[in-house]
Amino acid sequence: MTFHAPHIDYAGLSPVIALTAGICAVLVGGVFSARRQRLVVSVLSLTTVAVAAGLCIWQWGEREDLVAGALRLDELGLAGALIAILAAAVVIPLSWREPAAERPGSEPRHGEFQALLLSSVLGMVLLAQAQNLVVLFVSLELLSVPLYVLCGSAVRRTQSLESGLKYLIVGSLGSATLLYGLAFIYGGSGSTDFTTIRDAVGSGLTDDPLVLIGIALAATGLAFKISIAPFHQWTPDVYEGAPTPVTAFMAVATKAAAFCVFVRFFEVALGPAVDNWQPALAVLAAVSIVVGNIGALGQSSLKRLLGYSGVAQAGYMLVGIVCASALGVNALVFYLAAYTLMNLAAFAVIVVRERESGYGDGIKAFEGLGRDRPDLAWPLTIAMLALAGLPATAGFMGKLYLIEAAVDADYTWLGVAIAIGTMISLAYYLRVVAAVWMRPAAEPLAPEGAGMPAMAGGSPEADPLPSLAAATAAPRPGTRCLAILVPAWLMAGATIFFGVLPSPLVDWASHAGGALTPFLA
Amino acid sequence: MSATTYGWLVLAFPLAGFLINAFGWRVLPGRAAGWIGTAAIGLAFLNAIGALVMVLDKPVAGRELTSTLWTYASAAGLDIKVNILVDPLSVFMILIVSGVSTLIHLYSVAYLDSDRGYARYFAYLNFFVFSMLLLVLAGNFVLLIVGWAFVGFASYALISFWYRRNTATKAGMKAFVINVIGDVGLVFAAFFIFRELGSFDYLTVFHAAPQHFATNQGVVIAICLLLLVGAFAKSAQLPLHTWLPDAMEGPTPVSALIHAATMVTAGVYLIGRTYPFFELAPTAADISAFIGLATLLFAATCALAVTDLKRIIAYSTISQIGYMVVGVSIGAYAAGFFHLMSHAFFKALLFMSAGSVISAMAGTQDIDRMGGLRRAMPFTAVVMTIGALALAGFPGTAGFFSKDEILAFAAHRGGFYWIFTVGGYIGALLTAFYAFRIIFRVFWGEPVAEASELEHGHLAHSEPENPMTGETEDTDVGFPGQEHHIAERDRPMWLAMAALAFLSIFGGVLQIPGLDDVIDKFLHGSFLDSTLYERFPSIAADWEGLAVGGTVALIGIAAAYRVYVARPGTSAALIRRFRAIHTFLVNRWYFDQLYDAVVYRPTIAVGRFANDVVERVVVQGIVVVVVDVVRGVGVVVRGAQSGFVRAYALLLIGGFAALGLYFLIVSS
Repeated sequence: MTFHAPHIDYAGLSPVIALTAGICAVLVGGVFSARRQRLVVSVLSLTTVAVAAGLCIWQWGEREDLVAGALRLDELGLAGALIAILAAAVVIPLSWREPAAERPGSEPRHGEFQALLLSSVLGMVLLAQAQNLVVLFVSLELLSVPLYVLCGSAVRRTQSLESGLKYLIVGSLGSATLLYGLAFIYGGSGSTDFTTIRDAVGSGLTDDPLVLIGIALAATGLAFKISIAPFHQWTPDVYEGAPTPVTAFMAVATKAAAFCVFVRFFEVALGPAVDNWQPALAVLAAVSIVVGNIGALGQSSLKRLLGYSGVAQAGYMLVGIVCASALGVNALVFYLAAYTLMNLAAFAVIVVRERESGYGDGIKAFEGLGRDRPDLAWPLTIAMLALAGLPATAGFMGKLYLIEAAVDADYTWLGVAIAIGTMISLAYYLRVVAAVWMRPAAEPLAPEGAGMPAMAGGSPEADPLPSLAAATAAPRPGTRCLAILVPAWLMAGATIFFGVLPSPLVDWASHAGGALTPFLA
Repeated sequence: MSATTYGWLVLAFPLAGFLINAFGWRVLPGRAAGWIGTAAIGLAFLNAIGALVMVLDKPVAGRELTSTLWTYASAAGLDIKVNILVDPLSVFMILIVSGVSTLIHLYSVAYLDSDRGYARYFAYLNFFVFSMLLLVLAGNFVLLIVGWAFVGFASYALISFWYRRNTATKAGMKAFVINVIGDVGLVFAAFFIFRELGSFDYLTVFHAAPQHFATNQGVVIAICLLLLVGAFAKSAQLPLHTWLPDAMEGPTPVSALIHAATMVTAGVYLIGRTYPFFELAPTAADISAFIGLATLLFAATCALAVTDLKRIIAYSTISQIGYMVVGVSIGAYAAGFFHLMSHAFFKALLFMSAGSVISAMAGTQDIDRMGGLRRAMPFTAVVMTIGALALAGFPGTAGFFSKDEILAFAAHRGGFYWIFTVGGYIGALLTAFYAFRIIFRVFWGEPVAEASELEHGHLAHSEPENPMTGETEDTDVGFPGQEHHIAERDRPMWLAMAALAFLSIFGGVLQIPGLDDVIDKFLHGSFLDSTLYERFPSIAADWEGLAVGGTVALIGIAAAYRVYVARPGTSAALIRRFRAIHTFLVNRWYFDQLYDAVVYRPTIAVGRFANDVVERVVVQGIVVVVVDVVRGVGVVVRGAQSGFVRAYALLLIGGFAALGLYFLIVSS
């Protein structure tokens, strides 16, 4: 038996190659010591992601199988890759002053931090393009393992360690479940290739118990990765404990890549069994929307709040998969992009605020931000309003798109669920906005009888408290973080831009849906 | 310039005013923010006149002009443009909205003068006007939804303008929640329309609808009912009306602008705008008309018993919008919109006068504590009486012509529609009575302490406290503060009220049956395909109706005079005699209590149950076991375990078990 090496299209693989080379370079860059390390490493990583993004854009529009069908080069995969790369590009500057990467008095670890980050991006790029059960699983692990480490990377903080360990344990369970499911599907269909599985399932396996158990297990595993209720329990805990830049990255990039493979796996490989999995996923989506929104209501930590809100948003996006139509995939990809912009803006603000206020990421830390730090308050406000789906933000168009896909696919009740979820979500998003713009009533140093607390809303005309005015005058660490402010403003600006003029993003997303058109009804 | 260019400018000026006030508040001295806001809306009004002139220039059949600024989203199965529709109906609406808004901005320049949130107030107010104009100018359903949601948001912000006042923020949230219910109805109506007809664009949809649907086809009725959910939430019709009386917590000019003259009539506009659907679904139109009738009677009875000055006018607003809803639902489009216009004039006037009265009373809104103010504030007394006359439908005033035209149309339409005529006249009797209950209670009788003080030139200023609850407040931003302004002393307020008083008296001449039918003829360009539009009652029938209406108004006013002026004890005697009915009315038919018991409390209870039982007992219970098991393993591990990892794993497996079970059932 002779071994025939498959034809390899290096152009199609180029983003993957660029990232791999970049990871090696970044790791080597870590040998530089102290102050120079951050510069060298960051330049290397940013170059890497820029090159990878450029190559993705270069390959945009190509549709072909790579490496004997292990990967699929199309707009859906590239869209997922681009979102992951964008997230990494924003997170790198966010991490510069993070204790996980640089703690005063000890050797900086930017090299390790950013190499791990890029490894995770590599996993995501591969995952979004995976077209084979083995590649799916391997790239999912490549995505997850660096994240386990990154979650625990602030080693001096027990919360961070706890978060890393927790993510590892529950994550492994999720991976195991997925692997088990993939094994069942392989056992039932006799192939690891998505298109072959599709043919096999299409020819009489739709009601095969073996395959269906496999689908259930695989859905469980993937639902875990994108935090769909009831597999979401780890999300708020891990989000809260992990260093905030890592949380930001996990929240958006993991979701994007995992959703891409979710779409590909279910719409392509399991497409013929659509009637069986559609109702199950529909219920999962509805449960997520309810659980996420209700769970977020009582949170006092903004990261936990965003964790629960992420569960709800994942529920909205799952509706796009349930629709099993090109419109659904378009809406999903659009929403992923919008979700990335709004969440990155919010997390960037949290990163700054966490460092300069004594309240960590508690909502208290954001009180009075409006008059204190308008440059931080605006991106956060825009992000919250966009997440709530206010018109003239990308979030509005995203929800509109998803509801339209749901109505179009005769899942009107899911559209209603999105609308009701949005209504509930106003309660907690507006609470954050209110905290930002109202005067800091909770300042521990506030003099007695400083006035009535605000109930909601606020006004920039309010008098500053004397103690606060003094505090504002004194320079604080991390107050002028252009490296964070610029991405925060860019993301917030893009959220508004694509809310007022969404057609470029709609076009972009509809290419992704177009890539799957042959497989969709 | 073309009509649509004027249309875009109508939108541009309020937006510019909003941006200037929102970002320039730091550098704007004194009343500058107020004048900028007023000027922005005034310019919008001038451009609205420009649009009117350009539209009148066209032949009647060619008065529907659209203009697209940019493509919002276009992809397979989605085509949304940012376009406006300038046609007689939208021009009519922008004229009313920008015109009345200009006067209310002018009034606010003085009225809010001593509030420390001055620039923020005008930023909000300009944003509201922008949103409202966007709502009425929108050329497709998506832009309509955008305007619709913005208007709700602006209303929330303005109701909660005194954001540190507990009752105000609660009222704002209540209004927002009910408005969002309406938004949801509207969104789904839009998607059903899109799914059936493949477009969001008004003109495309309206032209395609008659070919696509059969009369009373299920889906058209569904679309209309969803539209009605949106319309009724915004217009405070039964059973979604409870937010409007509470919205009176906002500053009084806000009540005048948003909760009387403009925003709350958006539902009427929506029904009129989507008339092709309602004419295809007569059942839905009839449902709408009956709800309008029920609302107009219900709200009128509430207005008889409530004692809060602004809330009486709020119930009156709900009642008057009931007339408009009846009008546009039974096909009396021109009459319905005519009444919308005259109502905007006299209701804004009534609210402005109420604001002046409340200022004179140092913030008190309870009419039981008022009396004899007519000598202290002659101007306010005169213009408020004019407003009340127009509201009551006194012969010759604007309200006289507009209300009766709706009822005459109903009588003329035949079938069971006479019910609306009879119900409308009963409502008119109640209206005349409660309108003059206000006038007689506030301005007649013995002067109260504040009134006599004011006669001597001292404007009362009270301790800052919430008149609703008596909670103490301070005078910083976020509370109304101590200082007040009355129309007799502040020129801008005087001007605005005088202008509206003029319009309340003479607005009716636009449409006197048989003489001139300006509004009828003008609006016809927007209702060319209507089968009902041309069914005018004869001129004689119109005048018969007017005679009945005028008599009813006079009877109502006379009754109020007898009860409150001629025999002052009558009111108390009546209350004693009909205590049960009075309690029922004072409690506004127990709607708030009903919602509290059926919706609010159960939701809270479920939330608490989920929190207490599910979170605490189930999850914590598992955790306690887990923690006990792993205790002593090591700090780090224990840290991890105390975060309930096993509980999560259990849930993971539980969730999978449910999914697996489902798939097993499917397979067998």
